[in-house]
Amino acid sequence: MKANEELSDEEIIEKVRTSDKDLYALIINRYQKKLIRYANNLIKNEEKAIDIVQESFIKAFINLNSFDTKKKFSSWIYRIVHNQVENIRKKYKQETPLLEEWDFESKDDIEKDFEQKETIEKVEKCLKEIPLIYSEPISLYYIDEKSYEEISDILKIPMGTVATRINRAKIIIKKICQKN
Amino acid sequence: MSKELNITENVMQQINEGKIKMKPRIYFIAGSILTFVGLVFSITTSIFLINLIKFYFRTHGKMAEYRFEQMLANFPWWTALFAIVTLLLGIWLIKKYEFSYKKKPFLIIIGFVLAIIFVGIFVDIAGFNDSIIRKNGKMKNMMNGYYPKGYLNEIRPNR
Repeated sequence: MKANEELSDEEIIEKVRTSDKDLYALIINRYQKKLIRYANNLIKNEEKAIDIVQESFIKAFINLNSFDTKKKFSSWIYRIVHNQVENIRKKYKQETPLLEEWDFESKDDIEKDFEQKETIEKVEKCLKEIPLIYSEPISLYYIDEKSYEEISDILKIPMGTVATRINRAKIIIKKICQKN
Repeated sequence: MSKELNITENVMQQINEGKIKMKPRIYFIAGSILTFVGLVFSITTSIFLINLIKFYFRTHGKMAEYRFEQMLANFPWWTALFAIVTLLLGIWLIKKYEFSYKKKPFLIIIGFVLAIIFVGIFVDIAGFNDSIIRKNGKMKNMMNGYYPKGYLNEIRPNR
């Protein structure tokens, strides 16, 4: 029998739903860092990002029975955070600063080829200057390492649109980086 | 990091104290069934109303200017309005389905609306309305006002 830590997200969710609610802590521990960074990228306010992530985990728990375990939990929880950020942005539109320092996690543990490392650096440097419509998919792709399909599921846009936005983001980033 | 630990603690504490509870599975199943029923209602109502509009135009003959004005004056506008409302309801319900965001939204909306208009017109051409008028029943009373005097004799010449 597998130890709980070795179980997939979906297997843990099934256990949380049926027998052991305490295992939900494992899920929170797995995702909170990534989600705080993701929310912070969107809302550019760490305090609010933490609140958003906490609220998202609560919402996810309440609606856990609506999650289809044949699908990826990570896309589902990212989508909840995305929606939560959208709600907060609508609510506090005036309060949200447009340009602030973006604080990305270090990528020490990520083994990437040179080209991708270079792209990550460029993304980190220039991401704050591009519109959210482009910065969100490109950060999900390069920083959170999501596939086009997962990004499509998170943002609820067609995969073709994901590809287009990422390509446009690359062009914009290239222009901005060259300008800088 | 301590803030992150707080998230786990805060959420788990609320779960263990029973402050937050999972919604039961039946809640989501009922939601899916209602969405499906709503969509079926929206599709059938839209088709029926579009079929009625097509029938109205067909039975009132060609659109010569005078007749067209007369038709507009007598036109049962509620059917058009209700058809639009049910179409919008259908589009909104379709957006709730998983597949809907995989395609471009305007393609789904245009496809949905065109399919309903096409089926609505086809239902009329297939003689659905004429067969209702031929039969005496509740539906026939509902159709009153959609066909002009004399149309009944056209489709039931033997009576």
